[in-house]
Amino acid sequence: MNDDYLWDRTGEPDAEVQQLEDLLGSLRYQPRPLEIPPTMSVRRKRAFIPLAIAAAIALLMIGAGLWVRFANSNRRPVLQAERAPDSTAPARTAPPSNDQAEISATLTEPRDSFSGPRKANRGMVAAKSRRPIQPAEPVLTAEELAQKEQVIVALRLVSVKLNLAQRKAQGLPQINSIRNHKIG
Amino acid sequence: MIEAEATAEMLLMTGTFRSPQTIEEPIEQTIVRAVLEGEHDRFGRLYEMYAPLVHGVLLARVPRDEVDDLVQDIFLHALRKLHTLRNPMAFGPWIAMIARNRAMDFHRAARDMVEVEENTVVAKPANRTAHEVLDFIRQLPDTYRETLCLRFVEGMTGPEIAVRTGLTPASVRVNLHRGMKLLRAKMGVSGTAGNSPSPAGGGLG
Repeated sequence: MNDDYLWDRTGEPDAEVQQLEDLLGSLRYQPRPLEIPPTMSVRRKRAFIPLAIAAAIALLMIGAGLWVRFANSNRRPVLQAERAPDSTAPARTAPPSNDQAEISATLTEPRDSFSGPRKANRGMVAAKSRRPIQPAEPVLTAEELAQKEQVIVALRLVSVKLNLAQRKAQGLPQINSIRNHKIG
Repeated sequence: MIEAEATAEMLLMTGTFRSPQTIEEPIEQTIVRAVLEGEHDRFGRLYEMYAPLVHGVLLARVPRDEVDDLVQDIFLHALRKLHTLRNPMAFGPWIAMIARNRAMDFHRAARDMVEVEENTVVAKPANRTAHEVLDFIRQLPDTYRETLCLRFVEGMTGPEIAVRTGLTPASVRVNLHRGMKLLRAKMGVSGTAGNSPSPAGGGLG
């Protein structure tokens, strides 16, 4: 059998293939007009799908941009507040910033204000690992800070006194909690 | 020397890019676009171009009496659904697929219909008619019978079949070769049963 003739009718004609062509050619398609019903309607191609996809992508990008911006605006003040203890070293040369470092240390770790100095790095690691992101508190002046300290001390005193009164009412032995808290 | 050759190649490439043949839009694309714009009459051109393909695809699968009506139905269906065709250049493969699906639907709907069995054909004398040979082709696997129908009934060449159906030329060539081999074997076997002179002749003459 001649493969070329079977493929594209080139080369030496193959008798068997020719015979099949002649025989089956009688069944060939006989052209007939296509009768399209007059009532038939053809829908036009709509371009709304690509438009919808483009709009969705644009919305996503806008949303992502807004989210990134919002997240950054929330994160930045906290980092400032937590990094402030690192600036104690240069603060020695600049006295005004020393106050700010102390303020920020008290803002981020109020418990440590009565327990003496601690390493700044340790506090920073703990703050990063444990605490959730919070908005920054306003920076206080030295006078405001002193007032705040007084309020805190007063609150602690009240707390201790209430505790003593409660123990007294319950008939429990008294504890020298004032000494424990190192107040005064 | 190498530089000169490279420059020449570049110039040749530029030449081919500028040739108007590559810029020309395929006719199917033009017609499909026009029909979708509302010129329904132009669909007739697509019908003229692709009716033999649909006829051949159907003839390989459904009874001959039904083929002509089904061809019309399929083109009307295609006209209705033309807006769903994503790539107008793939009109041929698209409508061939519609024809195959319609042929399957036809068989699902008419399962009780009695088809011509191999034995009834084989019992006839050596000189085969076109219908008998067509029935042999219909007993072959789908891919072979469709390609053979398009080649022998519709008179398309292998490259034409490849372009119209969207198959690769290599696949069409393989289908033709293997289909022909299977057909010859089938006709040779049945030819012996029907007193055909030789298997090679296939009892055609």
